[in-house]
Amino acid sequence: MKDLSITVCGVKFPNPFLLSSSVVSNTAEMVARAFDAGFGGVSFKGIGGPSAEIINPAPRMHSYNLGSKKLVGLQNVEQTTDRPLEDNIQDVKWLKKHYPNNPVMVNIMGFNKEEWKYLAQVFEDAGADMLELNFSCPHMSVEGSGMKVGQAFKLVGDFTDIVKRNVKIPVFAKLTSNVTDITEPAMYAKEAGADGITAVNTVRAITNIDINNFVPCPNIFGKGALSGYSGPGIKPIALKCIVELAKKEELGLPLAGCGGIETWVDAVEFLLGGASLVQMTTSIVKYGHRLAEDLVEGLSFYMEDKGFNKVEDIVGKALPNFYETKDFDLSRQGAAQFDLDRCIGCGVCYIACQDAGGQCIEWDSKKRRPIPDEEKCYSCMICSFVCPIDNPPLITFKEIKGKKIYTPPPSKL
Amino acid sequence: MKQEVEKVEPKKDEYFQIEKPYTLSQAIVEADRCLLCYDPLCSQGCPAEVEPGRFIKKLRLRNLKGAFKVIKEKNILGGICGLVCPVDKLCEEKCLASGIDRVINIGKLQRFLVEYGWDIGFNPINKEKDKNVDVAVIGSGPAGLTCAAELAKKGYNVTIFEKNEKLGGILRYGIPPFKLNDDFLDREIEDVLNLGVKVKTNYEFKDKGSIENLLKDSFKAIFVSAGLTNAYRLKIPGSDSKDVLTYQDFLWQINSDKVDEIANKIKNKNVAIIGGGSVAMDVATTCKLLNANNVYCISLESMEDLPADKADLHKAIDHYVIIKPQSQIKEITTKDGKVIGVKGNEVKLLKKGDFSPSNIKDIPNSEFSFNVDFVIFAIGSGVDPKIKELLPSVAFDDKGYIKVDKESLETSVKGIFAGGEIVSGPSLAVNAVRDGKRGAKSIINYLNK
Repeated sequence: MKDLSITVCGVKFPNPFLLSSSVVSNTAEMVARAFDAGFGGVSFKGIGGPSAEIINPAPRMHSYNLGSKKLVGLQNVEQTTDRPLEDNIQDVKWLKKHYPNNPVMVNIMGFNKEEWKYLAQVFEDAGADMLELNFSCPHMSVEGSGMKVGQAFKLVGDFTDIVKRNVKIPVFAKLTSNVTDITEPAMYAKEAGADGITAVNTVRAITNIDINNFVPCPNIFGKGALSGYSGPGIKPIALKCIVELAKKEELGLPLAGCGGIETWVDAVEFLLGGASLVQMTTSIVKYGHRLAEDLVEGLSFYMEDKGFNKVEDIVGKALPNFYETKDFDLSRQGAAQFDLDRCIGCGVCYIACQDAGGQCIEWDSKKRRPIPDEEKCYSCMICSFVCPIDNPPLITFKEIKGKKIYTPPPSKL
Repeated sequence: MKQEVEKVEPKKDEYFQIEKPYTLSQAIVEADRCLLCYDPLCSQGCPAEVEPGRFIKKLRLRNLKGAFKVIKEKNILGGICGLVCPVDKLCEEKCLASGIDRVINIGKLQRFLVEYGWDIGFNPINKEKDKNVDVAVIGSGPAGLTCAAELAKKGYNVTIFEKNEKLGGILRYGIPPFKLNDDFLDREIEDVLNLGVKVKTNYEFKDKGSIENLLKDSFKAIFVSAGLTNAYRLKIPGSDSKDVLTYQDFLWQINSDKVDEIANKIKNKNVAIIGGGSVAMDVATTCKLLNANNVYCISLESMEDLPADKADLHKAIDHYVIIKPQSQIKEITTKDGKVIGVKGNEVKLLKKGDFSPSNIKDIPNSEFSFNVDFVIFAIGSGVDPKIKELLPSVAFDDKGYIKVDKESLETSVKGIFAGGEIVSGPSLAVNAVRDGKRGAKSIINYLNK
């Protein structure tokens, strides 16, 4: 087993896998079991100041399904907390006492400067290794809280500033993707002294509207709301945010990636994109803590296979390969290649190419085989996306030296 | 004092359960495996012209009503066919998903969609305006029910004549209840009756020419689908004993209210089934479900050549039926009129599928005998000889089946059409559905001339 430890802002994590601040990090008892199962750290849900009302909308979550796949995404309308602050403080103390090697980052959210300061101090006193400032909850209705802070960039700076002035431990700002450019609020956080950025919180979304009663899901007694959406459905958006933040040279802060991470492969992608830590919730909803052993083992085997000795060496490894689209070499062309010996004759490549592609595949109805025309192929590769033959794929892209871009003839109207 | 007799309901459900249906989520998982082929081969394999490629795509795209509709429009007995069709030889035979891992369970999806349609109370079939033209259908098996439904949809006045108490023919009295139960059958027959089809059950034609004479009555056309009701017995010593049944006698009792009676008789007893087809396997499995002791299935064919559908054979074996292939029964031994055993020897068929005596060679020193209490013949059936008298002008072929034009199913008599097993000989329910559709189409053409 490889050493998976990584040190971020002077805090050493046994591995980069963290519980994100959510239902999965709600109590010390849950977190302890997650540590026992192999998670490296936690972003403890410490939300809610002394004045915070304890509320619980019921039901509070909804599963977004796709075909036979359940929980492709998860929607929740949780707000603040369902526990009093004193209990959370006790929990952090207990965790630090019993699990000294598993860093505890405490996620806090205040409603004004005084509250931010107070929360930061009490959790630092309780022994938190780091703080995570929640500027990103997408369904807070109070101005100056949650995502509304993340969207009012000056407040990001102000609240980070007040926290930084009052604690010594490192501070991460947790940002929302619901902005045009996530690097802007990140820069406000940096200038106010933030030590790192967590990206992203749940995405403001609506997964389903009940077509029978017209109420959005989850249905809280006839009412629904645009609210936080998480899970594999948001991974591409979260990963984009990490890459944007990592590529922003002036920022230069360590990143915690969050959004749709289920397997070690997802985690490695976030590391390659520039994250030093990864956080997860929906995958734990789906699989439980037992997923930790496969994250840990999977990452370890990957590092062995690729010859990485430290997790740090993976971080940002893919960044040099990100370009602007204008930088592509458009003189090089290719076409879809078909290994027809393995074709089973379903014809879905033909349908895709005719109805959504370049109309460069014909169909031999006697032999039940596609007849591709390399010259007309513009390499959209949708044929390969619908082809059921994989491992290795039957349809692959190959460069064809000297191939010219094919222009379809004018429409016969 | 008058003693109250408690009416004992038949306990069929205790012995027999049909396969569990898919739930909606399970159906979606299965439909998600479908490749959704271009020009799907499954849609070319159904005699009833049901298009699985189409209904599975509709299920995938959450158009469940539409999926139910395309099944029911093509096959009013689509639910039953989903349950009883040997799909591995039909729609599933060429399923290309086998090239990935395994074929799609089309039969089970079809059944799911039909039951889904019933559950939501959706009626997908439009009935045309009443034409005030009477048509008679003789027999209420799958051919008769389908023909009646197709004609009723087009506004014809259809009357089904059925000699038994309940409708369904071979579906009720020839299929064991672990494959198709009364509730399911009754529900699907309801779809036929809801189209306004009239029925006369317990109706027996007796006088010479009485079926033909319906044409002199108000009926403008007749569809004869009386099936094969004359189950064969071997003529060997002992075969006339009262403990020797045909598969039809046996399944009739199982499917009637007499199930308890036969269950008590058969419990812990040994049974020999003569035959190697699907019906023989079904009967053998049924005996085992009724807690028979040893059940033998004795057939002339070799194990490899057993005509039984693989699924039916495996089901019998799963229930510990003893298969005895390449064997011929020569005698049923009796004592005081009761069956006590069967005697026979192993044989070799010189030519596959030819059961004429000159083709069956005894294997020396292979004699065997089993102690059994009952013998059930499952060696096929033929046309009821009485039918010829009821249809004296209609031509029959040398095998005893009604002669028809292959395309139109018209008999030698104008206005009389025939289909199902009375024309084809032993066949599948779905082929009878095809005949019913074809017959109805020809009758409509004939009536519009």
